[in-house]
Amino acid sequence: MTAPTQSQQRPGAGQFFSAIPGAGILLILMLALFTIANPRFVSQTNLVNVGLQASLLLMIALPMTLIILTEGLDLSAGALLGLSGVIVAEALLAGWSVFAACAMAFAISTAFGALNGVLIAYLTLPAFVVTLGTMGLMQGIALVMTNGDPVGGFTPAIETFYRSQLWIFPMPIVVAVALYAALWLLLYRTRLGNYVIAIGGNKDALRLAGIRANLVHLAVYVLGSAIVGLSAVLLIGRTNSAHPTVGIGMEFEAIAAVVLGGTSFEKGQGWLFGAVLGALAITVLRNGLNILSVDSSLQVVCIGILLILALLIDRARKHYSR
Amino acid sequence: MPAATAAGGHPADHAAAPLLRLIDIDKSFPGVHALRSVSLDIHAGEVHVILGQNGAGKSTLIKTLYGAHAADKGHIEVEGRRVAVARPADASALGIAVIFQEFSLVPYLDIAQNIYLGREAAFARFGLIDSAAMHAAARTILDDLGLDYDTHAYAADLGVAQQQMVEIAKALSQNARVLVMDEPTAAISEREAERLFATIARLTQKNVAIVYISHRMKEVQMLGDRITILRDGAVVTSVLRDEMSQTEMVGAMIGRPSGSQLARTPRAPGDPILFARGISTAKLSDISIEIRAGEVVGLAGLVGSGRTEVVRALFGADPITGGEIALSGSRAPTTLDARVRAGMALLPEDRKREGLALPLDIRDNATVASLWRRFTSGWFSPAAAERDTRGLIAQLGIAAHGTHQTVRTLSGGNQQKVVLAKWLAAGSRLFLLDEPTRGVDVGAKAEIYRLIDQLVDGGAGVVVISSELPELVQLCDRAYVMRDHRIVGHLDDDALTERAILELVVHQ
Repeated sequence: MTAPTQSQQRPGAGQFFSAIPGAGILLILMLALFTIANPRFVSQTNLVNVGLQASLLLMIALPMTLIILTEGLDLSAGALLGLSGVIVAEALLAGWSVFAACAMAFAISTAFGALNGVLIAYLTLPAFVVTLGTMGLMQGIALVMTNGDPVGGFTPAIETFYRSQLWIFPMPIVVAVALYAALWLLLYRTRLGNYVIAIGGNKDALRLAGIRANLVHLAVYVLGSAIVGLSAVLLIGRTNSAHPTVGIGMEFEAIAAVVLGGTSFEKGQGWLFGAVLGALAITVLRNGLNILSVDSSLQVVCIGILLILALLIDRARKHYSR
Repeated sequence: MPAATAAGGHPADHAAAPLLRLIDIDKSFPGVHALRSVSLDIHAGEVHVILGQNGAGKSTLIKTLYGAHAADKGHIEVEGRRVAVARPADASALGIAVIFQEFSLVPYLDIAQNIYLGREAAFARFGLIDSAAMHAAARTILDDLGLDYDTHAYAADLGVAQQQMVEIAKALSQNARVLVMDEPTAAISEREAERLFATIARLTQKNVAIVYISHRMKEVQMLGDRITILRDGAVVTSVLRDEMSQTEMVGAMIGRPSGSQLARTPRAPGDPILFARGISTAKLSDISIEIRAGEVVGLAGLVGSGRTEVVRALFGADPITGGEIALSGSRAPTTLDARVRAGMALLPEDRKREGLALPLDIRDNATVASLWRRFTSGWFSPAAAERDTRGLIAQLGIAAHGTHQTVRTLSGGNQQKVVLAKWLAAGSRLFLLDEPTRGVDVGAKAEIYRLIDQLVDGGAGVVVISSELPELVQLCDRAYVMRDHRIVGHLDDDALTERAILELVVHQ
C-alpha cells in the first residue's frame, strides 16, 4: 500500500511499472520460484518469519538509506548494534531500570554517531575510512566488556516485548513499519529531509541557500546511530541475551539492501521504500534457500549474484528509458 | 523581437536614480589586476549587457557583485544607499541574484523543493512541510514566467534550458530586483534562447533589472538597452544600444590596433601529419582539419565553441560518429592508446585534473606515457627513469629541486612543462595544446612559446587552442576559427589578424 505513494515521489520515473526497481522484479520472481519449489514457503509461520527477519534488517537499512543519500556510508552500524545490546544487557544486570538502560544505550549510540558525523561532515574525512575505524572501536569495546561471551540472565521484560503483538502483528514488524513511517515523513515532509537529499546532490547549493549544511550532515549520522542503538534493545529480546558480535556483517547486508532497492551512492538519488524492497529481497532469498536446505556459504554467493543482477536490471532500465 | 521592443520601452527610467551602482570597484589577484576601477549603473527595467572577451574581467565583476569576492577598493550602492556585500547571502537580501553557468540545483529534489530550498519554513505546518502549498506557490511563479513545467519533476530530469528557467524562478521567488545572467545562451538551443529572451522581456516589464553577460553580438543588439564594454579589467565605454555600431563594439572589445602585432617568421611546413575530414561527434559537426609537419595551427573561438571537443576527438578521447581521420597518410587507429603510440599528444585544458597526477612526483608524471616504449621487457628500472627525467628537466628547463618533487608544489608554468615532458618522452610528433599558457606567468609563457618553436623546428605538428587572440596571432602560422561547434573560417598569412578572428567569432 505504500508502493503507489512512493511512485508519486518519483515523478521523473514515469509510469508505475517502470518505477519498480530491479529488487522489486527479483522479489516477485523469487516469491514465485520458492512457492513452486516448496509450498511450505508460503505458510503463515514462514511468512511471519520472513517478516521478523526483514524487520531487523530494516532497522539498520532505513537509517542507512539516509546516510547513503548524503553520499556517505556507515560501516559501524553492525558493530554499534552489538555494542548497544551489550550495554543494555550489562546495565540491566547492574539493576538499572529498562528505561534507564535504554537511555544509556541511546546516549552512547548518539555519541558515536556524533563522532562519525563530526569527522565526516566537519573534517571532511571519507565516510568509508571513518566508519571502518569506529567499527573497530565499537567492536573492541563490546568484546572487552563481555570477554566475547553472550550476556544473558537479565529481566525478561525485553523478550516479552519482542514476543508481544499489536493485534495480529508481531512487535518487531510493528516497530519496523513505524520506523519506516517516521523516516518517510522526515525525508519527504520535513525541511531536514530536503536538506539530506541536498547534501548528496549539491552541498554547496544548500550552503548558499543559507543552511548550515555541515550540521545537517552531522545530524544524519547522529540520527542513524540513535536508531541502530535503540534497535539493539529489540534484538536482544529475540534470544533474551546480548551477543557482542551479533551485528557483524549486518552493515553490509543493510548496505546491500539499500543499493538493491535502487538507491545510488551518488547525487542523493534514491528512495526510502527501496530499502524495504531490498531488505525483503535479501530475506526472502535467505529464507527460501534455507527451506530448500541450500548450504549457508552458497547463500552468500546467491546474495552476491542477487545484488549484481539488481544493479544490471536497473542499469538496463535506465539505458532503455533514455 | 518582442524582447527588444519591450526591453527598450523604458527610456524614462534612465533619468531616475539607478537601482544599483558599482563605484570604482578594483580587484587584484596575485599576478592579475582583474578589475580596474570599474563603475556601472544598473537601472530598473533595463537590460544592461556586459560585453568583453574571455579574461576581460566579466566573471570577477559578477563574483564581486554577488559577494563571492571582496573588492579591494570601491563600493556598491543600492537605490543610492551604500551597502556591504560580503557574502552571497548579503546579495540575496538586497535582491541581487546570479544565474551562473553551472547551476546550483539539487538533482534529486523536485522543482518546487529546489525553488524553496532553505526557505521551506514558509510552508511549515505542525513542523511538516505543506507540500501542496509549496507546489502551489511554485506553480504561481512558473505560471508567472509562462512555464508549464511539472513542479514535481526532479531537477535531474530537466534539460539545461529548463534548469536555467528554474534558476530564474528561484531568483524571482526571492524577490530579486537585479538578475545577473552569465552567458545564459552558452549551452542552450536557439529555440530555447528565444524563450529566454521572452522571459527577459517579461521581467523587464516587471521592472527587474537584468545584467546580461555575453559576447554574442546578435544578442547584444537584440536585448541590450545599455551596453558596457570591458577590456583588461577596465570599462572601455558604456553606451545606449543605438549609440554604437557593431563593428565599433568589436573594435572596443579587442582594443589593440591590429598593426601592433609582432611579425611572424614564416615557416616552411612539410608533409601532412594529420588530416581529418568531416568529423562529427555528439558535440561537433563536420570538422575538417589538416596539420602538417613543422607548423603551428591555431584553433580560435570562444570558450564553448567546440575547440576542446575538436582536439579530444582527434586524440580519440571522445567517440566520433562520422568522418575520417588519417595519420601520416594512412587511416588513424581508433583507440586512444594506439593514437598515443602513433605519436599523438594532448595537453589538456585542465592540466591539474587531466594532465597530471598532482600528488605524484615529476619522475612518475614525466615517464608515465612512455613506459611502454622505454621498458619493453616489462621490468621497470628506477635508475633509467631517473636518468631520463633528469634529461627532460634539463631539456625543458623545469625549475624543480629534483626528480622527486611532487608536481602539486610546482608553479603553473613548470607543471605545464612536466605535461610536455611526458609527451616528449613518449616521442610524440603531433601535439594538441589546449590553452597551453592559461594560468602561467609571463616568463613561463615565453618559455612555452620557445618550446613550441623547438617542437616545430624538430618537425612536429602543433595545434594550439587559445582564448588570447594576440597569442594565437603571434604563435600560429594559420588558424581555424570555430563558432557553435563548427569551423567557420580559416585564416593564414596576412589574413590572420586579431580583428579577422574576432569578426568570424562574433559574425552572425
